[in-house]
Amino acid sequence: MTDKTTLNRRRLIQGGATFAAAGLTGFPFINRMALRAQEAPLKFWQFYAPGGDVKPQVQWFEKLVADWNDGHDQKVELEYVVNSEYISGSKLATAFASGEGPDIFLISPGDFLRYYNGGVLADLTPHIEDAAKADFPESVIANRMVDGKIYGVPMEVEPMAFYYSVKAFEEAKLNENDVPKTWDELLAVAKKLTTPNRYGVLFETTPGYYQNFTWYPFLWQGGGEFQGKDGKSAFDSAATVQALKLWQDAINTGVAPRQVVGGGFDIVANLGAGLCAMQSCGIWGISAMDNNAKDVPYGIFKLPTPANGKYVTVGGGWAFVANAGGKNPDASAQFCAWALASMDQGSIDRVVNWCTVAKSDMPPRNSALKAGADVFSTGKFGTFAKEIHPGTRAEPRVPPEAYKIISDAIQSAQLGGVDAQQAATAASQQLDAFLASYSGAPIL
Amino acid sequence: MLATAALGLMTVFPLVWMLVISLKPASDVFTPSLIPEQPTLGNFLYVLTEVPFLRYLFNSFFVSATVTVAALFFHSMAGYSLARLRFPGRDILFLAMFSTFLVSLPVIIVPLFILTRTLHMLDSYAGLIIPAIFNAFGIFLLRQYYLSLPRELEEAAIMDGASYWRIYWSIILPLSRPILSALAILFFLANWNAFLWPLTITSDLNLWVVQVAIANFKSQYAAAWNYVMAASTIVAVPMLVLFVIFQRQIMESIKTSGLK
Amino acid sequence: MHADEMKSPAAGAKSARGLTAKQRERYAAWLFVLPDALGLLVFVGVPMLLSLAVGFFEVNGFGGYRFVGLGNYRRMWSDPLFWSSVKVTVAYAVMLVPALYAAGLGLALLVQKTNRFNAVMRSMFFAPQMVSLVVVALVWQLMLVEKVGIVSRLAPLVGLSGISLLGDPNLALFTLVLVSVWFLMGFYMLIFLGGLQDIPAEYYEAAKIDGAGPVTSFWYITLPLLKPTSFFVLLVSLVAAVAGGQVFDLIYVMTKGGPVNSTSVLIIYIYKQAFQFGAFGYASAMASLLVLALMLVTVFFFLLTRGGRFEHD
Repeated sequence: MTDKTTLNRRRLIQGGATFAAAGLTGFPFINRMALRAQEAPLKFWQFYAPGGDVKPQVQWFEKLVADWNDGHDQKVELEYVVNSEYISGSKLATAFASGEGPDIFLISPGDFLRYYNGGVLADLTPHIEDAAKADFPESVIANRMVDGKIYGVPMEVEPMAFYYSVKAFEEAKLNENDVPKTWDELLAVAKKLTTPNRYGVLFETTPGYYQNFTWYPFLWQGGGEFQGKDGKSAFDSAATVQALKLWQDAINTGVAPRQVVGGGFDIVANLGAGLCAMQSCGIWGISAMDNNAKDVPYGIFKLPTPANGKYVTVGGGWAFVANAGGKNPDASAQFCAWALASMDQGSIDRVVNWCTVAKSDMPPRNSALKAGADVFSTGKFGTFAKEIHPGTRAEPRVPPEAYKIISDAIQSAQLGGVDAQQAATAASQQLDAFLASYSGAPIL
Repeated sequence: MLATAALGLMTVFPLVWMLVISLKPASDVFTPSLIPEQPTLGNFLYVLTEVPFLRYLFNSFFVSATVTVAALFFHSMAGYSLARLRFPGRDILFLAMFSTFLVSLPVIIVPLFILTRTLHMLDSYAGLIIPAIFNAFGIFLLRQYYLSLPRELEEAAIMDGASYWRIYWSIILPLSRPILSALAILFFLANWNAFLWPLTITSDLNLWVVQVAIANFKSQYAAAWNYVMAASTIVAVPMLVLFVIFQRQIMESIKTSGLK
Repeated sequence: MHADEMKSPAAGAKSARGLTAKQRERYAAWLFVLPDALGLLVFVGVPMLLSLAVGFFEVNGFGGYRFVGLGNYRRMWSDPLFWSSVKVTVAYAVMLVPALYAAGLGLALLVQKTNRFNAVMRSMFFAPQMVSLVVVALVWQLMLVEKVGIVSRLAPLVGLSGISLLGDPNLALFTLVLVSVWFLMGFYMLIFLGGLQDIPAEYYEAAKIDGAGPVTSFWYITLPLLKPTSFFVLLVSLVAAVAGGQVFDLIYVMTKGGPVNSTSVLIIYIYKQAFQFGAFGYASAMASLLVLALMLVTVFFFLLTRGGRFEHD
């Protein structure tokens, strides 16, 4: 009996102590300080490694982190987020909203202003030497800069072009000389390529940042902009209307699908699977096709232009950024600069490697373009480097509210059958209202 | 009878189609034939060697089973109290508890995430399990069930001076067997199929549940329908097999427990 | 002192210790509800209250808060996308709730008799429930691929050619309703089977003797006596249609609210505002309003059914 009670008492005291300890560490502030003291590894969120499926990409990231950890006290750790959830899910937003955001992460231009205006992005400029600054072409780095300071280091440039199925062309008695050069030709060729089992051409249909991204070049080719020099909306223009109308005509004439498989960026699921004969897609399509649709011969051509326009395409791509509110913003910023923006040969090689081995992308740095010249000047890469890339304009960093207005205009014209002029006018009015109330870093 | 059979076949057709595609080679995904011309198990082999689905299946199973057992225990206690014991504020309390049924996860995910972090449950089984236990729907159903039991059942026991715990444990619980087994299935299913919460609070790949894994697989292999369907089949099969084995019990218990 | 008292009833002690029977019952009752009440309070109640509070702030998603009073609520008033989401939600619920009711009851009547054939059929109707929505959405996406998906290939046989079931804003919501019914109907069928079973067979026999046909029996016996079940089905399916996680998953995976916002129900719009735009304050305000609206409906249901007891009249 006595044994039992003493045991009980001891257990009680133990329990009490554990409980008190839990209570103390449970207090978030103390706990976070404790973490800081221990120099917990910086968390690097991305959608490539270790959970990704493309081996060279996983290896590239693992080597990057291993190399850094070899020479630095402040360690970095990879944390993988499911691709689709990273890009359009709630995981990042939830983490940031609760102060648990990653220390280092990737963002696309579409997200830049939201994070910058939220005060999350650390200034990377102090860690980047001048020679390296000059190594990034203006068109690549501008949308990651505010007031002359760099807040993100691009890892790749991904210009948009058209891919076509050689087999589909042959079936329609067409060859590489028949690739369309104008919008009218595009629709005409698409019509010839359309069969009961296949669409002639594919434009993205899913609403989202990506759809807007792929539509901008069609807007720009006719000289259109969504914001004028005076800061007001310039969306209500002939250029907007004709760009909206092109996509609408493609649907209305039955040469383009209303619904894509997996997403318009997925070339293998659409063109590779034979569901369409031509697809608007970025440079990443090369490695996607070469790896996952080996037996589907394809060609590439640059975006056709309208009768009154000039050639331009859009270049997207992700960038490394550091969390200004993270555990160690200084080390995080240093990591980003060290990884991709140092004049060190290792840094340049890393960029070349990413753009040629891990993915198929244009490099964001002149030195990397030179270092990988033999790859970038031949084959499909060569087509991109010589014909497509020279007309690349950086993806604009559009705040979410403006993105949604433009998205609704595209959707309503393309799939809702709304008159293009009407859609443009309505969107322009909304844009004006938004721009008048917007107070953040300049939109580009 | 013919009409019923036709309806039944139409209902299961999408699931059959999933299986059919998972047995076809990539080139035949869009051919309309119901019987694969060159059936292959290659898709399953590929999926199982590429992705540690067994690990994810285990996680899902462990989480769902734990949640189910804990939830049944707590909910039957609460349901008993709300249905058969008298105390001031009972109806208000019930209404308050039931009103949480109207709150869906996307609505509260950020505060819930902060709370889970404060409790040190991020990236842990505890974080996957504990917040999932509390669910007003189960309480509601059990309360409805207990309301329908005749009052005399426990009156004799109370006369004898039995404690309420005794009454609950040896009279009420045994009587609840049919509804508890029905609810066990519903809870297990709901947790097996949960996606948003597990995705949000786990970063460690070792803690992934099958639904997160399949979403990831889909975003990596959107083009390879044969693989995606094979993976989907792997995720669906444990539930379907359980269902086929226990279908009579499942049906009877849900039916006779009088969910209403 | 209280802790000691409260332990006694549940621990099985005698009713001594100066407690009246009433007090004993009360303390026991509280102890029994405690775990669930606490759990719901912590994991649903507190987050919901926080969400309600956040609705009065403008939030940037990175820890910046600015009190705006009813600003978020005023914004809803003049936000066309909010109103279009409300419209889509209502349209979805108006189609889904009666469809589920009819499908559930219809199937239940069809397989009501206990025999082997019906047992198999019941299982078939319930089978979609066993599969997760992530998987369900994938399978349907594959079947609905334009031109070559199996449904698109079969559509011309019933005179529908060249349609895009998910890509046409006039059809997408309807398609989602069909998929939702397909997925959910098995559950409601079982509930109706339970309800049907409670109707004494003598009623039907008596009706038959009086010369009533099956239609008359259905109108004058089955439907009235199914009232409690019907209430339950209507309430639960309404909540599922308006705020259910399953509906959210389905729409999110299949259409993301498109095309042209035609499937953007309120929970999808709330999700987008919060997670894509970082407007947590605005999203929380809309969510609070949604919960409030559902609460009013529930209270109405409860008043109608005398405390959710759903007794026969």
